[in-house]
Order: sequence, then structure tokens, then C-alpha cells
Amino acid sequence: MKVKRLIRMALCTAIALTIFMIEARIPALAPIPGMKLGLANIVTVWALFTLGPVDAAMILISRILLGSLFSGSMMSLLYSLSGGVLCFLLSLLLRRLVTEKQIWVVSILGAMAHNVGQLLAATAVMESWTVWYYAPVLMISGTLTGAFTGTAAQVLYLRLKKLRAIGREKP
Amino acid sequence: MKPMIQTKTWMILFAALLALLIAAALLVSHRGTGKIANVYQDGVCIRSIDLSAVTEAYSFTVTDGKGHENLIEVAPGQIRVAEANCPDHVCVHTGWISDGLRPIVCLPARLSIQLEDTAQSETEGLDAVIG
Ligand SMILES: [Zn+2]
Repeated sequence: MKVKRLIRMALCTAIALTIFMIEARIPALAPIPGMKLGLANIVTVWALFTLGPVDAAMILISRILLGSLFSGSMMSLLYSLSGGVLCFLLSLLLRRLVTEKQIWVVSILGAMAHNVGQLLAATAVMESWTVWYYAPVLMISGTLTGAFTGTAAQVLYLRLKKLRAIGREKP
Repeated sequence: MKPMIQTKTWMILFAALLALLIAAALLVSHRGTGKIANVYQDGVCIRSIDLSAVTEAYSFTVTDGKGHENLIEVAPGQIRVAEANCPDHVCVHTGWISDGLRPIVCLPARLSIQLEDTAQSETEGLDAVIG
């Protein structure tokens, strides 16, 4: 069972990392610092609801570390780590508040927390509040992309649950 | 399972939040009269350029000692990052800025250019052209 869990997490990390790397190749729609689709979050949200917080956190951290390593930028590690951690903490709190048909809510608020985390990191690194000019438009895009990735994660969760293909083993 | 917060309530909440954010985005995009371009690196203003006093276009390069390079181009009344070796190129794609509060930000190089009413650096535009 331990091996099964390890393989499952490795598989999820690989999927998330692939999505992350492909997304990094897509040119930005608008020149807004920190704006992104956040498609890899589909895996994190799905894992949080299906595999639980510990496994989801490990998948997220592995993906961020490896993703920054592959893209070769220490700065991007700092920004995605602060965004990712804040997003995950809020998602963790919201997990018990929503039903399985409201998973998209977690993703929207998570995306906003991600934006705030990144802005805070940028504020600390650049020692200036300049970047907050972009906060409203970042949050608007976060709401929209969060709704999209959240819906995707929710559909994935409900369908895979019906299949009973992947999930936590009953003791 | 009965939800603690109805889906409808969430939707109203997000709609209100979106309206508020759009209002905020419009509000910040319609102000600012500054004509002095302050170039900041790691929060320190390394250069101030009075854009209204620029008569001839010129450019200079800002390096951060960690491999990042941003070629900044100054023209009468406007400024932009013309070239950069950051991965996202957001700073280049922002294009020329000439008014308003919208700053040019390069997150990887920790560089920002802001138009303000006062110069924040001793170094004026023309006397120390580097590149
Ligand atoms: Zn840049």
C-alpha cells in the first residue's frame, strides 16, 4: 500500500509538471506580471479532495521545485512557492466548507490567494508596492481562470469517483 | 449533502467581487500625471529621467549582477524596455509608457519603471548614458 501511494503521487507530480511545462510555453495573453492560466492547479485541487491534504501538498511542492528547476529561474521558484503555499493553505481551510459540487469555489479563491502570495513576494523582493497596481486585473483573471480550472477539477473528481479507479484505500 | 453555503450565494459573492475588481482596475488606470520616469532595481531608484525634457531618443542597459539585462529605451515623452533576457518578457511586452500609473515591471530582474511627479534618484537621464 505504501508503494501504491508513492507511485500515485509520483504519477500526479509527473502529470502536473507536464501541464506546468506546456503552459510555460504558451505566450502570455497580456503583459501583466504574474498572470497565468494555472492549469497545473487542476491536479492539486483534485488531489486535495481525492487523496487528502498530505499527498496533495507533497505533489504541489514537488511540482513547484521541479518546475522551477526545469525553467531555470530561482526568482520564479520564490514567486510560485509563495503563491502556491498561500493558495494551498486557503484551499485546505475551504475544503470542509464546500460540497463536492462546489469544488470550483475552492479553485477561484485559491487562485486569488495565489495572486496575493505572488504580489507579497514581489513586494518583498522589489522592496516596493509598485506591483500592486496590477492587483485588480490579476484578481479578475484569477477569478476566471480559477473558475475554469476548478470546474475541470470538479468534473475530474466526480467522474473518477464514479469509476472508483483512484482513491484512498479503506483500511 | 446539504451545503453550508449555497452555490447561489457563492455566485452572487463572486459577481460582486468581480464588479468591485473591475471598478478598481478602471480607477487605477485613469490617474497619474507624472512625467519623471524613475527606474527602480531591488527597490532602489537607480535613475530618474524627466521625459518632458528628452529631445532625442537614447537607450541604456540595466544589469543586476545575476545575469539579468534590460535594455531601456527613452524617447521624447515616453519610455520602454526594448530588450530583456528574462524568461517571460512581460517588461518588453508592456511597451511604451507615457502617462498614467501603469508601471513597467520585470519580476525576474526585480526592476520597475514608474512615472512620478518627482525624481527619486540623483542620476539624471542624459549625463550618464551607459549603453
Ligand atoms: Zn522582464
